[in-house]
Amino acid sequence: MKRILSLLLAAGLTLFFSGSSFAEVLSAEQIVKKANEAYYYQGDNGRSRVNMKIEDRQGNVREKEFVILRLNIVKGGPQKYYVYYEKPNDVRGTVFMVWKYLDKDDDRWLYLPGLNLVNRIAASDKRSSFAGSNFVYEDISGRNLNYDKHELIDDKGDVYVIKGIPKVPSEVEFAYYISNINKENFIPVKVEYYDNQDKVIRILETKQIIDVQGYPTVKEAVASDLRSGGKTIIDFNDVEYDIGLDEDVFTERYLQRPPMKWLK
Amino acid sequence: MKIFKNLIHFSTARPKFIVSIVIAAAIFFGMQFPKITIDTDPENMLSEKEFVRIFHHEVKKEFGLYDFIVVGIVNEHDENGVFNPETLNRIVDLTNKIKDIQGVISYELISLSTKDNIRQGDTPGMVIFEWLMQKAPQNSKAALFIRDEAKDNPMLDGTIVSEDGKAACIYVPIEAKKESYRIAQKIKEYVKAFNGQEQFFITGLPVAEDTFGVEMFKQMAISAPLAGLIIFLIMWFFFKKISLVFSPMIVAMASIIYTMGLLIGKGFTVHIMISMIPIFLMPIAVVDSVHILSEFYDKYDQFRDRRKAIHHVMDELFMPMLYTSLTSAVGFASLAFTPIPPVKIFGLFVAYGIMMAWLLTITFIPAYIMLLKESSLSSFGKKAADHHENIFDKMLEAMGRFSQHQSKLIIAIVILILAISIYGITKININDNPVRWFTEKHDIRIADKVLNEHFGGTYTAYLVLDSVNQTHEDFKDPKVLMWVEKLQKKLISSGKVGKSTSIADVVKKVYYELLGGDKANNKIPDSRNAVAQCLLSYENSHKPDDLWHLVTTNFNKANIWIQLKSGDNQDMEQVVTVVNEFIVDNPPPVELKTGWAGLTYINTVWQEKMVKGMMSALLGSFIMVFVLMIILFRSFIWGLLCMIPLSATIIFIYGLIGLVGKDYDMPVAVLSSLTLGLSVDFAIHFLQRTKELYKRTNNWEQTLGELFKEPARAISKNALVIAIGFTPLLIAPLVPYKTVGFFMMMIMIVSAIATLFILPAIISMFRGIIFRGDRVPKIKDER
Repeated sequence: MKRILSLLLAAGLTLFFSGSSFAEVLSAEQIVKKANEAYYYQGDNGRSRVNMKIEDRQGNVREKEFVILRLNIVKGGPQKYYVYYEKPNDVRGTVFMVWKYLDKDDDRWLYLPGLNLVNRIAASDKRSSFAGSNFVYEDISGRNLNYDKHELIDDKGDVYVIKGIPKVPSEVEFAYYISNINKENFIPVKVEYYDNQDKVIRILETKQIIDVQGYPTVKEAVASDLRSGGKTIIDFNDVEYDIGLDEDVFTERYLQRPPMKWLK
Repeated sequence: MKIFKNLIHFSTARPKFIVSIVIAAAIFFGMQFPKITIDTDPENMLSEKEFVRIFHHEVKKEFGLYDFIVVGIVNEHDENGVFNPETLNRIVDLTNKIKDIQGVISYELISLSTKDNIRQGDTPGMVIFEWLMQKAPQNSKAALFIRDEAKDNPMLDGTIVSEDGKAACIYVPIEAKKESYRIAQKIKEYVKAFNGQEQFFITGLPVAEDTFGVEMFKQMAISAPLAGLIIFLIMWFFFKKISLVFSPMIVAMASIIYTMGLLIGKGFTVHIMISMIPIFLMPIAVVDSVHILSEFYDKYDQFRDRRKAIHHVMDELFMPMLYTSLTSAVGFASLAFTPIPPVKIFGLFVAYGIMMAWLLTITFIPAYIMLLKESSLSSFGKKAADHHENIFDKMLEAMGRFSQHQSKLIIAIVILILAISIYGITKININDNPVRWFTEKHDIRIADKVLNEHFGGTYTAYLVLDSVNQTHEDFKDPKVLMWVEKLQKKLISSGKVGKSTSIADVVKKVYYELLGGDKANNKIPDSRNAVAQCLLSYENSHKPDDLWHLVTTNFNKANIWIQLKSGDNQDMEQVVTVVNEFIVDNPPPVELKTGWAGLTYINTVWQEKMVKGMMSALLGSFIMVFVLMIILFRSFIWGLLCMIPLSATIIFIYGLIGLVGKDYDMPVAVLSSLTLGLSVDFAIHFLQRTKELYKRTNNWEQTLGELFKEPARAISKNALVIAIGFTPLLIAPLVPYKTVGFFMMMIMIVSAIATLFILPAIISMFRGIIFRGDRVPKIKDER
């Protein structure tokens, strides 16, 4: 009886002294939801010019440049993307368009001007490379939060440390990943992907965050593949939010006749 | 020479001192052994600065290529071959296990379950990029679907899936070739746990080379001691006295320990070639002692005093022993002129070992004999009074009479045999293939055979095409790609190449899939932009990096991965010729430089150097030995005479190799120096004794009679000891060991026969010129 009483007392004291922060503690699910929105859903729509440097193990660098248009249908939900290639010159005019859904496979289109051809593209998963870089498709458009089980494993200084464990391990090339999420703006600063031998195989890093129209915005991000030794640096330029894009732009019609007004 | 004679006297005077020095030195050099570093990589047959090696490593780095272990899975029982759910399940399982082996570059592993596929979607105009086999299929329909997709992909068909669907392959890239034996053993362990219908095979040049190294060192520990044991037993049979017979064995052991100890202590790595030193040194080290024992055995009874007997024997044999050792040493030292580093070291150290053996023979053997009790020798030796001659002696005497009376017949037969041999030499086939260093029943040979029947080929070579103009991104140019396509067709039509893969194949595959999957569009699109956009589409796959194995990121250099069905150097050389001819007949649309890399190609380079190097080394040492003989006999004619049996032996042995169709490969090439050094020995002994006897008798008939007593006995005993001693090598599981064993036997028997038949026959015919009047040549001797 005495022991129970002292336990209760101890519990009460703990609650009392930690009371103020206790109310603000977020669950892992809440953190990743906020992070997802901070990283992929800033504004209602937006545009950025992306410069991509793909560097291989020997230090050879290839550059690509494209403009990305994005429209949120529902914040945290479906989105539409339009990616227009500007460089290298021989792929200029190539368009990659995505209608992203949460409850089914995305619709993707590819327009190749050199072949004068529009293709519907399907993929068994979203772990394929984005434009030959070390970013995978999911890094650019976001990974469905329901695909993983999230655990808050650490809460240190200015970051939350979240471990994501895939519910269907056979569909991805990693065993789990650990994200460091900035407590202030909820932008993931570092995500490490591990294999089943607890070895890091891939790292995503946010190198620079700037303020654009009041939104914390990723300016520079790096993906490193530790297995191939390659890395890709993405630089977001001319970022603008809420420019008035509408769904009309994200249709097959505009694949062959790019909406130059939005692409400048 | 006086100093050496004094040394012999010193040895008989202070035997214990000599024996303790020999033992102390053996301990000192023996202590170096633990420092051993082993190197089993045939690539090191070339200097590290060799162009082809540097280029090979640049190409590997530039295109992210690795040496492969090839694991083959064959299912002959299922009607759909490996394409049934059970087998595919095992392939997925094995692939995952292999990925986790230390030293495997799992990211670059090529297997059905690690490759991406492009195919038509369910609705028209839809293209699907997906893993070919992310997980094992659940039913046979899904299994067959994977087969059809893999066979439809030019990057996979013939590489990881066989034409008939009976077999699949896993290409296991490894960090270092020297790890391949260990990794292959690990894979074997995993495979053992499976108990399905399928068979598993492991091969590839790195495994063959590394396994050979491992088994070679194992053989070293079996064959060399076994040869030693048999030599010991035969000597025991001839000389009866076991305590005496130990002495040549000690000389052989000590010279091997001194040589290997010095080599290891000096920090040289023990390469495959160098591991052969003991087996080469043993017979050479024993030969001189056998002469001594044979002579001692024959003469002991005359003296009945071991000191007098040994001094007499050493006096008789000192010059021939010195010269036979010098000639053998010269034969091996000439290998220093080959452009192949391990062969240089091998040659120089064997030469050193031979001189060590000689030094031991003239010091240790007399000292050892002095340490035996005189009484223990009471029953030893050939009794002078014993007129009961055995069959062996009778045969020898008959041989002597025969070669004198039938000299013309002998010479005619010899000329006939040599003519046939020379014809045989013209038929010699210069070729090598490390896989063939294993006997046909070896796992690696079987795996090699099976997998090359099913697939495009397990031997890899890389043809690198490099634009002279480095700014045009030439490998996006449709004209250039079409030229590459044509070159690949030419490769296939040569019959030596089973499969080749290039950037052109990727472009064609993506192009026709994007256009709706119609094979009519399986071609290079006609504009540079179209090519670039096909490649951009491909880059959206799971493995975009696969592109950079075939082309550099700046598109100025391309790599054609060529799979050969055979690792024979001849076949590789033929492929190089086909490419060169093609380029002359079909100049590329832009200026291109070509270069070759890959283990199969590298082997051809060192082989060529080896053959050329050996030829000049052989020629050089032939001249050196000839000069030595002229000095020894102080006569040009006698020098020439001495070269006859060895020339006949070399011509006969190489003629035989040409006639039976054995390839002139690395071991055969190296053995030429041994042939030269050893086969002159008997002639030196024989002619030296001829001179001495003739000086005494001044009568050829009488000389000949004497020659076919002790001298002929020593020669034939020697030949038998070594020839029989090396028979265990003939049953070794490694072909180069068989070759060495065969050579040793042939050298001994043929040069003994050549010496005992040809020399008396020639001397009988030309005795006028040879013993011209009183001018009996005197041998420099300081007795």
